[in-house]
Amino acid sequence: MIEMFKEWYDARHEYAKEWKKKTGGKVLGYFCTYVPEEIVYAAGVLPVRILGSHEPQNVTEPHIFAMFCPFCRDVLAQGLQGRYDYLDGIMIAQSCLHVRQAYTSWDLHIPSEFSYYLPMPHHVQSKRAVPFTRAEFEIFKTRLEEWTAKKITDDDLRRGIETVNRDRQMMKQVYELRKADEVPLTGLEAMQMVVSSQMTDKTEHARVVEDALKELKGRTIGRPTGTRLMLLGSENDDVEFIGMVESLDATIVQDDHCTGTRYFWDEVENGGDPMDAIAARYVKRTPCPTKDWPERKRIGRILSFAKEWDVAGAIIIQQKFCDPHEIDIPAIRKALEDAGLKVLFLELDVTVPVGQFKIRTEAFLEMLAEDDLF
Amino acid sequence: MTEDYRMVKEGKGAEYWRWTESRWTNPDLDWKQGEVVSAGVDVGSVSTQAVVMVDGKLYAYSNMRTGSDSPESANKAIEWAFEGTGLTLDNLKATVGTGYGRVNVPFATKAITEIACHARGANFMYGPTVRTVLDMGGQDCKAIHCDEKGKVKAFLMNDKCAAGTGRGMEVFADLLGVHINDVGEMSLSVEEEPPPVSSTCVVFAKSEASGLLREGWDKEKVLAAYCSAMAHRIVDLLERIGVEKEFAITGGIAKNPGVVKRLAKELNIEPLPTDMDTQIAGAMGGALFARALYLKKMKKK
Repeated sequence: MIEMFKEWYDARHEYAKEWKKKTGGKVLGYFCTYVPEEIVYAAGVLPVRILGSHEPQNVTEPHIFAMFCPFCRDVLAQGLQGRYDYLDGIMIAQSCLHVRQAYTSWDLHIPSEFSYYLPMPHHVQSKRAVPFTRAEFEIFKTRLEEWTAKKITDDDLRRGIETVNRDRQMMKQVYELRKADEVPLTGLEAMQMVVSSQMTDKTEHARVVEDALKELKGRTIGRPTGTRLMLLGSENDDVEFIGMVESLDATIVQDDHCTGTRYFWDEVENGGDPMDAIAARYVKRTPCPTKDWPERKRIGRILSFAKEWDVAGAIIIQQKFCDPHEIDIPAIRKALEDAGLKVLFLELDVTVPVGQFKIRTEAFLEMLAEDDLF
Repeated sequence: MTEDYRMVKEGKGAEYWRWTESRWTNPDLDWKQGEVVSAGVDVGSVSTQAVVMVDGKLYAYSNMRTGSDSPESANKAIEWAFEGTGLTLDNLKATVGTGYGRVNVPFATKAITEIACHARGANFMYGPTVRTVLDMGGQDCKAIHCDEKGKVKAFLMNDKCAAGTGRGMEVFADLLGVHINDVGEMSLSVEEEPPPVSSTCVVFAKSEASGLLREGWDKEKVLAAYCSAMAHRIVDLLERIGVEKEFAITGGIAKNPGVVKRLAKELNIEPLPTDMDTQIAGAMGGALFARALYLKKMKKK
């Protein structure tokens, strides 16, 4: 079953097109994980995350400032190259300026029937953040209702919460298995599981994760786990990079990424008023660095992950020019080093200079290795 | 004096960038009396070294230019190191391949990164007090922190571009028609230090230097401006990781006093001296690791 995630990941566009044909529903492409998917599910619309393809391209230069990150450039390229031509709408929730530029440029050049900018607040640590966000989510809900010509009831919202929560719970169980001395899946497989959940119907995805869980109980990755690593950064679905790291007698066992735990770890507390609960979840979720201020709440969780998953070292991969993450790196590095963990820092571009990264990663792993050659 | 160097000296039009290759055998050691003969081969982007050690003592080495084919460069280097010693590959208990072509050393027992090998080699070359190693190689530059055993504690490499490395210096030697072995001393002969060239990007620096020559700068002054720019760039890298004493430099650029003296002045730290060939540090670390690997294997048996 676990191979399914890779299949979905590789055939994301085919999946969405097929889903549309099958259900007759609308597909909404989104640019950032602060988009409340629960509300989108409540509207019967399929949310899919727009990600890059990690290939060189020459279409975004006139549209994106040269010092914006490679990710936003890669994302916009997908739109300009027509790869998401099946989308019925696009949206973003405010996170950073760079990806917002990708969204606005997309909106300008690729007209679609629905386009929505959700002003998710930056100051999520304010006590007024939940009511603010709730009010914004209400406006968003109304716009969705107008678009789909269908009322979204509280029951719909509760169902939306259940759908998304269920998938989160299942994926967390898979992550639990990665605490084992010999892990049953690689970091690459885990990444593909999470990213494919951003690209597929979560009801179906959760079912496959549930089946995969059974399969994983007796599974091995066909080699020793080796050095246990944690991967930190913004979005990282760079298959080539993760594959390279995991070819060096090392395995990624935990992460802090918006294509990883930052996306799915926190659940909505279902029960009370559903819109309150959804708003609270997005305000209180493990923050993206654009919102992790003045207190850096993310660090506490990174440290507890590192401890519980027993990692030996952390690799911070940084999208070039990603200022919010860059600002956090010294603090994160210090926190990890104070906790006795070694840190390797690498800067990513659209394509990965695998040879250059490999030597650094190998040297890092040698540094973590036993002293028996001295 | 090698053939290339003589040709340059005599104005016979050899290429100025061709630095002097060398080999050496320790006259005080007899490998046949030793127990463990181990080797390290460092196939770098510009140069390849083979070091042979007998029971952890330096026995022989070669230092030559890397050809287009890594396995062949490794074979040639080890053969040259063996020259006149009677050694063959069969006598090696273990070999570690390192450098850019580390996985392409056909007779290697294991590949270990040049970062680990340079730290280990510098520890041997300069002693256990070394805490910061700067390896200035052909296409990259590494700043390494290590402990008293020569184990890496932290490291930083230059990113994305080979500016400020050996290859850049070779291009400059060619441009100015000065043999690379003489670049450093010549750059130090200026009476007044000129401002550094504004770019260490080899291509841009080259056009800037051509402009300076046209303006009437002499070669010494242009070389001083380039060596100084290179030293600046290396100081930038070093300051990102911090320099802990003692400080040692390995690699080809360590032989260029024009860069090293400027670097020491800017950092206000005198690098440790050595009478060994700084280019062999990586291969030397490799040979020491190879010996440790062999002893570990024997212990297991």
